[in-house]
Amino acid sequence: MADAFGDELFSVFQDDSTNEAGTKKDQEKGKWKGPPGSADKAGKHFDGKLPTESTNSGKNKRDTDFEGTDEPIFGKKPRIEETIAEDLRYAIALALREKQRVIFTSPIKALSNQKYREMYEEFQDVGLMTGDVTINPTASCLVMTTEPCHVIYTDYRPTPLQHYIFPAGGDGLHLVVDENGDFREDNFNTAMQVLRDAGDLAKGDQKGRKGGTKGPSNVFKIVKMIMERNFQPVIIFSFSKKDCEAYALQMTKLDFNTDEEKKMVEEVFSNAIDCLSDEDKKLPQALFATETFAMGINMPARTVLFTNARKFDGKDFRWISSGEYIQMSGRAGRRGMDDRGIVILMVDEKMSPTVGKQLLKGSADPLNSAFHLTYNMVLNLLRVEEINPEYMLEKSFYQFQHYRAIPGVVEKVKNSEQQYNKIVIPNEESVVIYYKIRQQLAKLGKEIEEYIHKPKYCLPFLQPGRLVKVKNEGDDFGWGVVVNFSKKSNVKPNSGELDPLYVVEVLLRCSKESLKNSATEAAKPAKPDEKGEMQVVPVLVHLLSAISSVRLYIPKDLRPVDNRQSVLKSIQEVQKRFPDGIPLLDPIDDMGIQDQGLKKVIQKVEAFEHRMYSHPLHNDPNLETVYTLCEKKAQIAIDIKSAKRELKKARTVLQMDELKCRKRVLRRLGFATSSDVIEMKGRVACEISSADELLLTEMMFNGLFNDLSAEQATALLSCFVFQENSSEMPKLTEQLAGPLRQMQECAKRIAKVSAEAKLEIDEETYLSSFKPHLMDVVYTWATGATFAHICKMTDVFEGSIIRCMRRLEELLRQMCQAAKAIGNTELENKFAEGITKIKRDIVFAASLYL
Amino acid sequence: MAMAMRLPVARKPLSETLGRDTKKHLVVPGDTITTDTGFMRGHGTYMGEEKLIASVAGSVERVNKLICVKALKTRYSGEVGDIVVGRITEVQQKRWKVDTNSRLDSVLLLSSMNLPGGELRRRSAEDELAMRGFLQEGDLISAEVQAVFSDGAVSLHTRSLKYGKLGQGVLVQVSPSLVKRQKTHFHDLPCGASVILGNNGFIWIYPTPEHKEEDTGGFTANLEPVLLADREVMSRLRNCVVSLVTQRMMLYDTSILYCYEASLPHQIKDILKPEVMEEIVLETRQRLLEQEG
Repeated sequence: MADAFGDELFSVFQDDSTNEAGTKKDQEKGKWKGPPGSADKAGKHFDGKLPTESTNSGKNKRDTDFEGTDEPIFGKKPRIEETIAEDLRYAIALALREKQRVIFTSPIKALSNQKYREMYEEFQDVGLMTGDVTINPTASCLVMTTEPCHVIYTDYRPTPLQHYIFPAGGDGLHLVVDENGDFREDNFNTAMQVLRDAGDLAKGDQKGRKGGTKGPSNVFKIVKMIMERNFQPVIIFSFSKKDCEAYALQMTKLDFNTDEEKKMVEEVFSNAIDCLSDEDKKLPQALFATETFAMGINMPARTVLFTNARKFDGKDFRWISSGEYIQMSGRAGRRGMDDRGIVILMVDEKMSPTVGKQLLKGSADPLNSAFHLTYNMVLNLLRVEEINPEYMLEKSFYQFQHYRAIPGVVEKVKNSEQQYNKIVIPNEESVVIYYKIRQQLAKLGKEIEEYIHKPKYCLPFLQPGRLVKVKNEGDDFGWGVVVNFSKKSNVKPNSGELDPLYVVEVLLRCSKESLKNSATEAAKPAKPDEKGEMQVVPVLVHLLSAISSVRLYIPKDLRPVDNRQSVLKSIQEVQKRFPDGIPLLDPIDDMGIQDQGLKKVIQKVEAFEHRMYSHPLHNDPNLETVYTLCEKKAQIAIDIKSAKRELKKARTVLQMDELKCRKRVLRRLGFATSSDVIEMKGRVACEISSADELLLTEMMFNGLFNDLSAEQATALLSCFVFQENSSEMPKLTEQLAGPLRQMQECAKRIAKVSAEAKLEIDEETYLSSFKPHLMDVVYTWATGATFAHICKMTDVFEGSIIRCMRRLEELLRQMCQAAKAIGNTELENKFAEGITKIKRDIVFAASLYL
Repeated sequence: MAMAMRLPVARKPLSETLGRDTKKHLVVPGDTITTDTGFMRGHGTYMGEEKLIASVAGSVERVNKLICVKALKTRYSGEVGDIVVGRITEVQQKRWKVDTNSRLDSVLLLSSMNLPGGELRRRSAEDELAMRGFLQEGDLISAEVQAVFSDGAVSLHTRSLKYGKLGQGVLVQVSPSLVKRQKTHFHDLPCGASVILGNNGFIWIYPTPEHKEEDTGGFTANLEPVLLADREVMSRLRNCVVSLVTQRMMLYDTSILYCYEASLPHQIKDILKPEVMEEIVLETRQRLLEQEG
């Protein structure tokens, strides 16, 4: 088997041996912020500058890249790189020489720690700021963690990548994207073909793999091939825990432990679910990590292997996005060591060329602003002279993205208007009147239909054999014959009310193509020239566009195709006999609907029909052409209207309404005055940034914390920082339930005030955003219990508990500051005591990485 | 040469006029504010024998359950975002010490001021040596509070062109409690002069600058002689501020402007006569009430 592999692969590689070795230029990823000063005041900052300005510099000579620029310098590698590179050193040294401050940001803590250590060795004057550690924050070179910003990068890679596909059940790799980034359509299609042919085989193989017993799996084969071809080290991404373990076991069968390989081989199984530390110990060469791994730990490899292209994202299996793919596949190819990286993607499900193309060639996830207002932001901006939140909104990146859409919309309006003016209708006025009459009639017709569709009116007439017309949005099935109807109770998700749905089974002429699919819901009407096949289709009552007074005889047994087709013949016969159209049931005379509203509608219809018939145009031979023109014009007019509305929306400053609402809330709660001067409460709220500042401030001013012990206060605060869901709601003792109730009352009041201020807020959701699940856990921890003990108290993950505790400490520190601001030392001491109570042992052990 | 001579007279108590517009709960140190234990104590109070007792003289303020006493006469305690006017008292390494009428000297770090010309860079050793050239002892500056240290000392910054060294003008020192908090504390009054109402109680009155777009970074004082007319306006404003303060009126742009207008019938030097002071402040108060009214 391995031989077949090798040959196929070899030939593929031969093709590309002419390929140039990658540029030797060292690259560094990491975002560089320029001069300080832009981000000092309001506490929140973001880069107003677009990354594209400086990303093109990738091809420039190094010296010109950094010299004399005030722009932020962006790292230029599509990926976060591993070791402190020459360029980075150069840039830092240059910046320091120019007396600039250097801020190196990386998206994850572990990477920051690593960078800090490296830079510290190099420059000494280096600081670190992450979620848990702050070292020397005033240093001239500062390493920080930021929100993941892996989107800011260029498409430039120093080491080119080759993307291969391994179809399950197939016997070789197919090169789909070469190192120049060209998508090889033909190769891709061949691979797809192999996949289709080997469909059954692949399925069988899958099962075997899951069991982990049946022979060597595809992964095994590929890895073996990789070893034979010296393409190691390799990182294998697998998106399920189970597979991951199975693969790991298989890998142990391979003997990697030859002397020279020992150092080189590093098998990394990336598992999107959990860190399997036990496994880690058993298999010293396999490392289990989370997907974050792809962001940039020091773990480059030559080859990256994806065992699947789909992953489970909590709800559903989905294709991995091209952004994720880029990030992960980018692990391949070590700079300076490999002339190209190899990416192998295993596909075992039928992947359409479009999906595959999207995945392999797709661009990175777009950079979108997630800017949103918070009370803390508003308050912090209010307290500083001259800057106001309105200004901030106008200058945000979010706003910028929004404004960028304007030219397109303007163009659209212009085009539509031109089209509108182009359409010239002779005798326009009278045509328009005629058009309007017809529109009215159509509208009234709909109203009548609605009456007819009321189950209590139409059900008695839906006997078997009744001729009905079925229309589903664009699909007009024409006439069909009712076979049966049934009632389905449909529980509305929000109201919980029973809302019966009536489904009519109708024998319809459907296209043969659509019937191949087993689900009859997918049936499509036959094309006029197609013979079609009669099929029973379940139809919702409101899709019946007309009910005829004619009933047909239908054969008893509808299962044979011939019987069904005979019904079609009868329908055609009926249509022949009524050349003016099949007679319909009269809503009043035949169906006996006694509704006054319906009568009125029918009167109106009569009046309009009279006007239509008496209109001079009605008998005009040109009617049809003129009418369609008019219809078109009216449609364009509607388009223009909506486009203009869009334009108006685009020109407004986004979130301005929300800002107004928020200010109103702040005023009503006494945080700020009507002239936007912040009051004492506002100042206190400014101190609290890591949890709901409004509620906490209100609670504090209402003296909720006064009578609580430090442990109780700490437990109560845990509601604000714990965000995960827990299934079991612990039963709280009165000493915790009491404060919780008070807190919820306070929250209700804020929700009420917010609602009054027209801020969209759902009281229930707001209240449930404070999760009391960990209150007793925190309380017990604060009273001195062991970690093992508190872990048993809840089903929440240990990691979540620790995270909660750490955030709690942060919040307590802010509460200390807030208490200080109002001048209450008892409260301040209480919160400080809370900190000392929870800050002990494993929960606050320093990061593993530092 | 005619001279006006005055004999000492007993000062009239202010409370009768003060109590009119708002019924303020005034306390002196040692007064019991409340015996209700449901309240929380804030600044200017202490708990003694289950009672909440005032520790300073001033008005009691309540926010929900929090009770604090706002002192009438006090030192300045800084809050982030405040505008202050201060005087450089010392030049140290990488920082200036600034007197801002607070309990501790405030700090202006070399790194939190604009360099001349608005250049943005890390401060070098040369900058440190040139510090006395930027600001020296005795210079007045306007600045904003950037941070408050745990001991209450204030760190200032002048990272905006509107802050910086103050040139020619008049300084009036009042109690910080008399400066009303507003969205802006820089006012160009229509009478031809400008004021900076520092939250720390330092009021700076200066001629309205003609062109504001001077990119000097605020370190070159304009030493051109100020016109007599401007000087007169400034002196009148100064006396008005003083009279408002003597009558315990809050200082903000409208009150100063109304007082200025009320003082116009009098000569500048006469404004400080107690009866004139009382008269113009009364008129000012009247107008303010009408406006609110």
